[in-house]
Amino acid sequence: MENKKHSYIGGIAHGLKTLCTGLKVTFIEFFTKKVTEEYPDNRDTLVLADRFRGTLDMPLDEAGQSKCIACGLCENACPNGTLHVESEMVTDEETGKKKKRLVRYQYDLGSCMFCQLCVNVCPTKAIRFTTQFEHAVFDRSKLVKTLNLPEGKQAPAHKN
Amino acid sequence: MDIYEKITALVPGVRLEEGATPTLYVEPASLHEAAVALRDHAELQFDFLRSLTGMDWGEEGLGVVYHLESTRLGHQLVMRTATADREHPELPTVCDVWKAAELNEREVYDYYGVIFINHPDMRRLYLRDDWVGYPLRKDFDESEELNPIRMTNEESSDFTSVYVKDDQGHTVETKQVLFEDDEYVVNVGPQHPATHGVLRFRVSLDGEVIRKLHVHCGYIHRGIEKMCESLTYPQTLALTDRLDYLGAMQNRHALCMCIEQAMGVELPERVQYIRTIMDELQRIDSHLLFFSTFCMDLGALTAFFYGFRDREMILDIFEETTGGRLILNYNTIGGVQADIHPDFVHKVKKFIAYMRPKLREYHEVFTGNVIAQERMKGVGVLSREDAISFGATGGTGRASGWACDVRKRHPYAMYGKVEFKEIVFEEGDCFARYMVRMKEIEESMNIIEQLIDNIPAGDYQVKMKPVIRVPEGRYYAAVEGSRGEFGAYIESRGDKYPYRLKFRSTGLPLISCLDTITRGGKIADLIAIGGTLDYVVPDIDR
Amino acid sequence: MFDFSVVTNWVHGWLMSLMPEGLAILVECILIGLGVLVLYAVIAMMMIFMERKVCGAFQCRLGPNRVGPWGVFQLFADVIKMLIKEVIAIRHSDRFLYNLAPYVVILGSVLAFACIPFNKGVEVLDFNVGVFFFMAASSIGIVGILLAGWSSNNKYSLIGAMRSGAQMISYELSVGLSILTIVVLTDTMQFSEIVERQADGWFIFKGHIPALIAFIIYLIAGNAEVNRGPFDLPEAESELTAGYHTEYSGMHFGLFYVAEFVNLFIVSSIAATVFLGGWMPLHVPGWDGFNQVMDYIPGFIWFFAKAFFVVWLLMWIKWTFPRLRIDQILHLEWKILVPIGLANLLLMTVCVVFGWHF
Repeated sequence: MENKKHSYIGGIAHGLKTLCTGLKVTFIEFFTKKVTEEYPDNRDTLVLADRFRGTLDMPLDEAGQSKCIACGLCENACPNGTLHVESEMVTDEETGKKKKRLVRYQYDLGSCMFCQLCVNVCPTKAIRFTTQFEHAVFDRSKLVKTLNLPEGKQAPAHKN
Repeated sequence: MDIYEKITALVPGVRLEEGATPTLYVEPASLHEAAVALRDHAELQFDFLRSLTGMDWGEEGLGVVYHLESTRLGHQLVMRTATADREHPELPTVCDVWKAAELNEREVYDYYGVIFINHPDMRRLYLRDDWVGYPLRKDFDESEELNPIRMTNEESSDFTSVYVKDDQGHTVETKQVLFEDDEYVVNVGPQHPATHGVLRFRVSLDGEVIRKLHVHCGYIHRGIEKMCESLTYPQTLALTDRLDYLGAMQNRHALCMCIEQAMGVELPERVQYIRTIMDELQRIDSHLLFFSTFCMDLGALTAFFYGFRDREMILDIFEETTGGRLILNYNTIGGVQADIHPDFVHKVKKFIAYMRPKLREYHEVFTGNVIAQERMKGVGVLSREDAISFGATGGTGRASGWACDVRKRHPYAMYGKVEFKEIVFEEGDCFARYMVRMKEIEESMNIIEQLIDNIPAGDYQVKMKPVIRVPEGRYYAAVEGSRGEFGAYIESRGDKYPYRLKFRSTGLPLISCLDTITRGGKIADLIAIGGTLDYVVPDIDR
Repeated sequence: MFDFSVVTNWVHGWLMSLMPEGLAILVECILIGLGVLVLYAVIAMMMIFMERKVCGAFQCRLGPNRVGPWGVFQLFADVIKMLIKEVIAIRHSDRFLYNLAPYVVILGSVLAFACIPFNKGVEVLDFNVGVFFFMAASSIGIVGILLAGWSSNNKYSLIGAMRSGAQMISYELSVGLSILTIVVLTDTMQFSEIVERQADGWFIFKGHIPALIAFIIYLIAGNAEVNRGPFDLPEAESELTAGYHTEYSGMHFGLFYVAEFVNLFIVSSIAATVFLGGWMPLHVPGWDGFNQVMDYIPGFIWFFAKAFFVVWLLMWIKWTFPRLRIDQILHLEWKILVPIGLANLLLMTVCVVFGWHF
């Protein structure tokens, strides 16, 4: 670090010089391209990383069935009690074996901290994180979602 | 063990306990004597109190674990003491030996109710004064009737308690005045633009000049350490990102490292490379934010935006690989959450190429500016002795001439194998603290450049058992966080939950030295000093 | 050159034909007062919008862009917001002084505003010691700020007010000295006269070195006078949250806010008037054709162009530099600006005595 002592006039001149250097930088920036993201207007061109954790999602096939086997591992892994898995025991008609079947897969977005432990632990990859990030609702109860029901889901505002 | 023999010979009431980590047990009665001997003996010189952890050992009673290190000789020591009296636990203070103990002992008092004899300011640190009970004791009553959500304001008392022993050996409480009636006391915070969060200072002013300052913490205290005691090890990881949110990678790295060392997990080299690069990116991220907010504190709002604009690029890189921007969730026990994104290497290189000229721009617009220089130089000088005694690590310590970089002291991950310079300044003023961080951005970029092209192939995650149990013992691991040594201390009883998990906060030592270095300065200096200390409040309050 | 006094004389004559002289003058006073206030409000809004856009551009962002095209309706939204917000009465404050303070500030500001010659013939307050009057009027604002800080019963406010008192009284000196330098050159204190004398070249060119030094000192001191960065200590957002107007809300805060921006405009327009020729077009002696073309551009356009250019300069300065500390601000004034200002005044006197100016 330089610690030069300037004379009175030299000090003023040095000070003015440094001030002008600063002014030069901001002057150049005055004309450079602006970086503002005009968010709601740029929805169509907005690029989100695929791994972005927006919300938990359970993909359903055409019949509305998910890959979830209601094992409850995710519920145990969750530090916040965000997930709640309701299941019932049914007997498979062909094999006659008893099997767990998912009734309700409840997810509370309001208390989720996106730690990904549930996704990590899922043996069938039935749940995943999607990039849907527009979560604002007027009522907190709307943040509680039933993921295995298509109508329980909110339609995504936009797709990426 | 050489050190242990020496100290046993010096002080009575000391014994060595073998185990995963050899620990020196000291009787409370000889604790103060032992502390002085440990610090002052020519062959011991334990002048740096790394970490101070309150403990509830159940049967054995309440106690404290001290992690010590010598800055001159480089050796380390773990020391503990315990008192069996659960009704009126008392221990002698060591804050006259290591100033770092002052706030840490208040934390122990807050969590465990241990009274430290001769401590100058025995108040709660985080919780409200009307809190009932001591929450980290294992027999704490969590019922809502005892501690309802209180709807009344908390009055700030102008008095504090000091406990001393009288001639008969009884403990006597005396009241000490913090602020006299005629002092002009100004509240800075908890809602204040320059405290970078919800920290509160009570500042006694004489015109513009600061006469003394008291720090009030706890406005964002979430009890993370308490929460961790009922979470499994993988679940505890989710909370580390929320301590120092500008050191999310490093915090999690510390905890993962601590657990991995305890379990004896060997990590693939790829993981070590990725973790090192991520840590350094995080450091750049944090230092850029430091630059921005510091400029804003000094009133240069435009430079603030330049810093944030460039930091955005790092966040984008993080987002692509980890899926998060602030809360990253990347390190896991035995690896990382996901392999690096295919674009990662390319983008990091692009960022470094972009960043170097931008740094020059920062120096032109702010560092060289005569006003900024006048505001920083010679302001808030922290001496080297004080930095060590307070345990003010990171950029703050290095600006005071203390080479305290954990990456050099105890190399971990890839730091032993890369070349980088430890930036050390001698002045200890705001300008030195500022310059350390600006130069560290360059050093971090150098480290990344050495690694980025050579990331070896391999697994990014070691196969772990579904339930992770840490073998019984005490473990401490530290990393160089963005603003100092960030340590994780685990005491395990072999369960899948930690018996006690303590995070060595990087910010607590920084705010503990505030009173010392702001005295005699002006209000504007307090803002400049606070800015260059670069604390993050959630990390202090935990 | 278009002379606005044609219009004012016609209005005067018309009113005289309708009513007795006393009443006519009263009506004129009301009309002029209304005109000044409307212009004041319009300029305040323009300044606020300009500040946001210019600041945005310096900071690599777009500035307001949500309300209307380029965000132009943002300021109307702000005005409405300000008007309908509650004026909160603070407990334990000195209610009378607390409510009075913003009006004192705005009073000083409007008085100073009325001194500005906008065009040939558009000078509301124009008399032989106009410069003195302007200086006196513009320093009334300090009283308002001190009152605001004292009566709010808030420690931040009080510190801010004390800073502001020390700072503004000090910098008044430099503002005065630099204007005096030009007064020495023109030997008049009447603003309209000062402008007329610049018909054959602006003073910044005519007075060359001393005028340039005076211009720079004026910019620095004027910036400090209006409490704007890097001299915004009385507000010092990161230190005192909002300084003297911490406790004000609604329109009371709005008055401080508006006064601050118009004061900036006043300082800039005085700089434009005294140094850059006010509404006088750019004339180069000898180039008659060029001068004639320049004369086609109306005076008020020249005036506003110059004034807003100086505003832009001051914004550029504000959005580049960090804030000074209170002792540094006084050091700058008393140990640097005042000695240089005095020496410069002497230099100008010597120049004038020996006729070394153009």
